[in-house]
Amino acid sequence: MLDPIQLEVFKHLFASVAEEMGVALRRSSYSPNIKERRDFSCALFDSVGEMVAQAAHMPVHLGAMPLSVQACREIMEISPGDVAILNDPYCGGTHLPDITLVTPIFADLHVLGFVANRAHHSDVGGMSPGSMPLSQEIYQEGIIIPPLKLVEGGHLNQGVLDLLLANVRTAHERAGDLHAQMAANNKGVDRMTELVARYGQDEISAAMQDLLIYSETMTRRLITALPDGAFRFQDVMDNDGIDDAPITIAVTITIQGDEVRVDFSDSSPQSTGSINATSAVTTAAVMYAFRCLMGLDVPSNSGCLSPIDVIAPEGSVVNARHPSAVAGGNVETSQRITDVLLGALAQACPERVPAASQGTMNNLTIGGLDHRTHPPHLFAYYETVGGGMGARPGKAGADAIHTHMTNTLNTPIEALEYAYPFQVRRYAVRRGSGGKGLYQGGDGIIRDIELLNSAQVTILSDRRQSTPYGLAGGEPGKAGRNLLLRDEETQVLSGKTSLEARAGDIISIRTPGGGGHGFPEN
Amino acid sequence: MHQPALRIGIDIGGTFTDFVVFDQSRGHYYTFKILSTPRAPEEAVLDGLSKSDDQIPDAQSPIESIVHGSTVATNALIERKGARTALVTTFGFRDILTIGRQNRVQIYDFFSDRPPPLISSEDCFEITERVDCNGKVLTPLNEGEIPSLVKSLSTRNIESVAINLLFSFQYPAHEQQIVTALRETGFFVSASSEILPEFREYERASTTAINAYVTPILNRYIGNLESALRETSTDFRIMQSNGGSIRASQARTEAVRSILSGPAGGVVGALYTAQAAGFNNVITFDMGGTSTDVSLSEGEIQVTTEAEVGGLPLRIPVVDIHTVGAGGGSIAHIDAGGALRVGPQSAGADPGPVCYDRGGCEPTVTDANVALGRLAPEHFLDGNMKLDVGAATDAMEKLSGHAGLIPSPGLTHAQTAALGVIEVANAHMQRALRVISVERGFDPRDFTLGSFGGAGGLHACNLARELGMQQVFVPRGASTLSAFGMLTADVIKDYVQTVMLPGDSSYEELERLAAQMVKRGQREVQAEGVPRNLTTIKRDLDMRYRGQSYEISVPMTPNFIQEFHNAHDKVYGHSDAAAQVEIVNVRLRAIGAIVPPSLPKSNVGPSNPAAALLEYKRVVVTHALVKIPFFLGGKLRPGHAITGPAMIVQPDTTIFLSEGDSVTVDEHFNLVIRIALS
Repeated sequence: MLDPIQLEVFKHLFASVAEEMGVALRRSSYSPNIKERRDFSCALFDSVGEMVAQAAHMPVHLGAMPLSVQACREIMEISPGDVAILNDPYCGGTHLPDITLVTPIFADLHVLGFVANRAHHSDVGGMSPGSMPLSQEIYQEGIIIPPLKLVEGGHLNQGVLDLLLANVRTAHERAGDLHAQMAANNKGVDRMTELVARYGQDEISAAMQDLLIYSETMTRRLITALPDGAFRFQDVMDNDGIDDAPITIAVTITIQGDEVRVDFSDSSPQSTGSINATSAVTTAAVMYAFRCLMGLDVPSNSGCLSPIDVIAPEGSVVNARHPSAVAGGNVETSQRITDVLLGALAQACPERVPAASQGTMNNLTIGGLDHRTHPPHLFAYYETVGGGMGARPGKAGADAIHTHMTNTLNTPIEALEYAYPFQVRRYAVRRGSGGKGLYQGGDGIIRDIELLNSAQVTILSDRRQSTPYGLAGGEPGKAGRNLLLRDEETQVLSGKTSLEARAGDIISIRTPGGGGHGFPEN
Repeated sequence: MHQPALRIGIDIGGTFTDFVVFDQSRGHYYTFKILSTPRAPEEAVLDGLSKSDDQIPDAQSPIESIVHGSTVATNALIERKGARTALVTTFGFRDILTIGRQNRVQIYDFFSDRPPPLISSEDCFEITERVDCNGKVLTPLNEGEIPSLVKSLSTRNIESVAINLLFSFQYPAHEQQIVTALRETGFFVSASSEILPEFREYERASTTAINAYVTPILNRYIGNLESALRETSTDFRIMQSNGGSIRASQARTEAVRSILSGPAGGVVGALYTAQAAGFNNVITFDMGGTSTDVSLSEGEIQVTTEAEVGGLPLRIPVVDIHTVGAGGGSIAHIDAGGALRVGPQSAGADPGPVCYDRGGCEPTVTDANVALGRLAPEHFLDGNMKLDVGAATDAMEKLSGHAGLIPSPGLTHAQTAALGVIEVANAHMQRALRVISVERGFDPRDFTLGSFGGAGGLHACNLARELGMQQVFVPRGASTLSAFGMLTADVIKDYVQTVMLPGDSSYEELERLAAQMVKRGQREVQAEGVPRNLTTIKRDLDMRYRGQSYEISVPMTPNFIQEFHNAHDKVYGHSDAAAQVEIVNVRLRAIGAIVPPSLPKSNVGPSNPAAALLEYKRVVVTHALVKIPFFLGGKLRPGHAITGPAMIVQPDTTIFLSEGDSVTVDEHFNLVIRIALS
């Protein structure tokens, strides 16, 4: 057992390994989605794939990455100099655009641990540019990569890379991003090798285990401080983009002593459309909700999950079966899972939980030919749009911001117009969209983009019918709206839609407001 | 020519205003501190200038120049006490400051918020116009809207206006039209195309808004000072965040450029003294009471265009300083999971550490050093402040009890806990030093650690050892280094222009684009009183592979493409000679060389430091209690050499040498420490 001093020192050391990987990845990556929007995560794992440290980047990657490492361990014999790659949601991944690279850390021919990073690629092939399609089975969503060796014994497996690049729309960008991902893992391995030389592998291994226990202890303390009892909450997704029926996400959180059971058994069965979540996504949402209640400065590692038993029945929308479509589960359903978790936790500790935030990521993908160059070149643009934050007990919700499972930056308008054949007509706070309350819900965003070329537009959004709930008497936030302005006419688009847009069309994304908190004063 | 004339550097800090007066005729320096007057900072400045009469023998000498680092603009920003400011943007984009980059600062905290924008949304106005990314006008400026804009600004009591139109760096005419109209009506006006003609609208707007917000404040302040100065011929200069200085008359219109002037002065002073001692590659380490600043210089000071002040992005070049919230006053505690934490809470100066005996009851890093015997209680701050060793030891013992520590052999509970506090504090510092070096693509082993904060000397040698750094450098007069640095600062003017050109553009075309900026740089440096032959122009290109969204700067040479591939390889570990390259910005730095003051010098004498020996005392060194010598820094002479374990007590800092570390005093009275690396 480490003493309190060593515990703190190793916490810093391991966190800085993950952070330095993140710096390497962000700086050397190609695509705006990774570099400018920072849609990635880096983490360090022990020898059995438990996550020890994660750089604080993307919450939705939080509890989900250990499954990637574990899948690699099960499927392949990993040797020094190997780098595994995967994106298969049914084997260690979450949805296809998130490509994960796993590299073992060897010390004296023993696996001491792993480093891994996950980055959202703006295209991995499939039926629509940007690979966030309205699909009905996973085969439509892009290239599926089961755990494979991208690098074997220090040598790049060119065949794997070529196969991958042949199946995506923007191959050059993908190659650049994958190289950056490899560089990030190399950085992590180098750092860990230095630490082993300094402290010895036994001490490093012991430190990893103690840090897992440390986070577990902190989590148990949090749970103990919550009242015992069963707290139930449910909410809906508008639809799955194929059938027009609401989908229920329901949870019962049972707190007993220092343990919790989080049971999603009353949720809808898996759906035809792409909003299915894998169990990795559901676990990530659970970890996020508890992590937020814990306060700052606890290493986000697998120890946080030890006292929490997650029940997500196979074949349900929160744990879909192969080959269900899952592109939107990671980005949309994960938000609603968070909403219901917080709705239940608000009953246990009302003073610490905000009303519902926008509850969607408003995924917008646009792809096609950019005719501004000769010859025209293919482009794939992907972006998510922030919205209103739910009001907090004692404090209004923030306007125009990303909440819960994502925290990606926007693409600056001037960067966007250089890179793509678009013109942004308006980027504004959607005033009046936040729910009324003693404390007002945050307002959403309006983003109007005019297309200069014809292009395929896909929108994957929710809370276009249902609304973000208020708490303690606060009113719900306004639902979002997607509009198409064509030839002076405005058409309302559905929440999940794909269309062939013409030059001159304006796509207007109006995102939901957050729920209010407390009864509004008259 | 050689009439006696004084050059004065002044740094206003939170507690003290520091003065360094250089008497050019004698080659002497005089340094002194005056208590700061935060409500009216100019009072301390004027007070100090009049007091310099008492301090300096030949006080009637004319003052040739005053270089002044100012927290006036910084404090106006941090405390949100700037001018009432409005923003004017392109139609459709008035919420640009509210939305920012749409991200939140703390992802696992429901209750934290981004700092609110400097300009409230009611004070943001739109005007009809639109330009595309190539500078083509899509919608001409509707000048008819200007009168009603002026009216709204007046009714809302606006004093200062920031203008930030989309793509104004490609087509500044629309902004200029608005500038002209608003200046006529008496507003302070800041145009984004003047402050920062660079793409990325939010960061540009933020920078322009900061300028608009603080400029009226700095302008008033400089006006007050100038009218109170006894001579009108004095060259009155303001330190800039980029490490240079400019005339106060210039600084008055672009206050944003002096926001981080104090810390910049420290880095400039540290590098100047280090270079004079023969060290070109320096990582500066300024550990104070509540925070620690680190920065890296590889022959020249590194600047960044990614700084943040008070959580707001600032995209002009500033000295790249990384700050962590850990210092001598950081509080140690055991958290719920059983780890020993240091900071981010700090006891500050009041009540301060337990050992100050001013009511502080939580153990701090300084208390840990006291409990280990590493601070001489009678000589702290030149003997002006007594330290309560017993209280510090008790606090450490209590901490050990909370932590359930088992004492190391030969050590007490208190000493074991104190060593732990130091180790954790060092882990914070080490991380900061890695951020500024490793994360920027530098190997710390190629650098000397320059320590100049009050609390740093106790930690510097062990930190250097952890990072494999061979030398530590402690400059003379470390506590007034920032004011000194201002005396040595050149005139530096930075310019940028987004061009967004393909990589196969000809060098001639780039030269043509840069020519305008070169002319402007030369003209403006000459206007600062520096002759043409002392002016250097440095041109850089910000480049990236097409599709990337992050640029790196390379020198503008005919071989710029290769320079870029090489730089990319160095920073990121890979490059792609076949990939298309984009030239995003042309950057230009015009430097007017100032004749720097010479450093006091003395002949190197014998190495035996016996004359400076104060006493032998028991100190916890590494893991044992050992009797070691304490030396009085003020009595050390050039040539003196000491091998650790030993302590060197200076009025403003104490330096701890571990076993095998050896220090020599150089001809300028700096301490040069060779670190014993295993």
